[in-house]
Amino acid sequence: MTPPRSHYLPRTRRGRIATIAFIAAMALAQPPIVHGLMNRTEPLILGTPFIFAYLFGVYCLMIGVLVWTLRKGV
Amino acid sequence: MEPWVVSTGLIFIYLIATVVIGILANRKGTANMEDFFLYGRQAGFIVLYLTVVATFHSAFAFLGSGGFFFTHGIGFWMAGTWTVLVGAITYTIGTRIWALGKKFGYITPADMIADFYESEAVRIIVAFVSVIFTLLYIQVQAQGLGYILSVATGDRISFELASLILLVVAAAYLMVGGLRAVYWTDVIQGIWMYIAVWAGSLVLTYKLFGGPVELWRRLMAERPDLLSLPGPEGFFTPGIWVGMSIALSFGIIFQPHMMIRYFTAASDRTLKILGATTPIYLMTLFIPVAFVGLGGALILPDLASPDRIFPELLFRYASPWLTGLILAGATAAAMSTLDSILHSNMTVLTRDVYQRYVAPDRSQRHYLAFGRWVVVALLVVGWCLTVFNLDFLVTLVTLSGAGALQLMPAVLGVCYPGRRLNTAAGVVAGISTGLITLYLTKAVFPQPLGIHEALWSVAANFAVTIVVSRFTRPPSEATVERIHGEVERFVYGR
Repeated sequence: MTPPRSHYLPRTRRGRIATIAFIAAMALAQPPIVHGLMNRTEPLILGTPFIFAYLFGVYCLMIGVLVWTLRKGV
Repeated sequence: MEPWVVSTGLIFIYLIATVVIGILANRKGTANMEDFFLYGRQAGFIVLYLTVVATFHSAFAFLGSGGFFFTHGIGFWMAGTWTVLVGAITYTIGTRIWALGKKFGYITPADMIADFYESEAVRIIVAFVSVIFTLLYIQVQAQGLGYILSVATGDRISFELASLILLVVAAAYLMVGGLRAVYWTDVIQGIWMYIAVWAGSLVLTYKLFGGPVELWRRLMAERPDLLSLPGPEGFFTPGIWVGMSIALSFGIIFQPHMMIRYFTAASDRTLKILGATTPIYLMTLFIPVAFVGLGGALILPDLASPDRIFPELLFRYASPWLTGLILAGATAAAMSTLDSILHSNMTVLTRDVYQRYVAPDRSQRHYLAFGRWVVVALLVVGWCLTVFNLDFLVTLVTLSGAGALQLMPAVLGVCYPGRRLNTAAGVVAGISTGLITLYLTKAVFPQPLGIHEALWSVAANFAVTIVVSRFTRPPSEATVERIHGEVERFVYGR
């Protein structure tokens, strides 16, 4: 039997873009970034503490990657 | 009219509505196992969307998470990470689970995993993990429901009786209408809870602070410790942050009540849209909860039970009608998760234990009747756990997630063809090691090096699975060809 090629790594260009983009976006919401550089309240963004607005932006970015992936049929 | 009468009345109207929906679902359904346990594998986008989000968000979203913001500050906003991760998992793993379920007729996660690894030991340990850790989840939801109803009635109905009433209602419509009743009630519950959390939070925020901006300004002035990591009590260390992200995404998805939802989808396209869009609902629900929890820390700093911050603020500062509507929404949040867990445990115990080992060749009607008795038994066990243990809600949920997380190497081994195969012995050894490690790093040596027990346990699990699999017999070539071949065809069309 010839085993199928590994599915752990994406095979298509769009698959690779989606995977890397999602992991990179997620890394922005993880330590050490979020516990270091982004761990502050100022500057305020629309009256909201920086860390809250920053994380919201990152989550939207991650959702954006998922929506892009869906639209491209990956 | 007194506030407690209004809120209690609205909750009971809501409960009656759910039972009526259960009866209607019973009329629509047919007496076969696929319909009763899996909604006939025909759940469309809207129904599936609302049942997934309503099931994912539970009493924990209303009570536990508000308490966490109250106690540990803005660090709990990391919840957004795991909610978005859930979408990605649905998109990538959920669609594969759906494809295998449709092709081979799987009803439970253990069906799928045991079929690939060709092992009854794997079936038993997967069924065990599926049931034991979701029993904890029944306790969490029942505790939440008990809190809500006892608060709504001004403690005129005791916590014990309140949790029993709500458990009985959830069990009743499940027994009558099966998964169809669960899905239909989840549609209402999903809409109601989202509106309720946002409405209640905004009303409180504007009434108490004049709006979110002023709330943030006061927090910066009076409680800046709540606006930085790792929080006032130093809880949200990097190790806890990452661990909770993994435990409450993968861990919850691998619980049977979530995995079974993948089997019920009408198509893979439905699941992909679901994966891309459910994080919007799941993540944004924590924004109003943050307002309530953080605002509550300013208004009621000495509250003895932080989990009760939302209902306490409502009772003190919102109108009775609004309070009633919102507490009914909180009830919906807890019941939508509770009914799903009762259903999945019923399915696992009926399919993986009773049908497999006790009474293999009975009619479908017989298994449905047995499943209903399982619900009664689960109700009794869940209520006893609720009454005799009152721990902090989030800690329990995290333990539940970390427990189901131990299925991760086994599930990935099925859904992701790779150069090396996991074996049945590897999976059993890995899950056993993971569970022991989870116990040790949770109870005996809590969170060594500040790292969450979910990470320790799943790392040990993966290591043992890989090592043992190197030296033990893999699944037969025919089975690997059949199942991994199907995954290959589904994903790459060849």
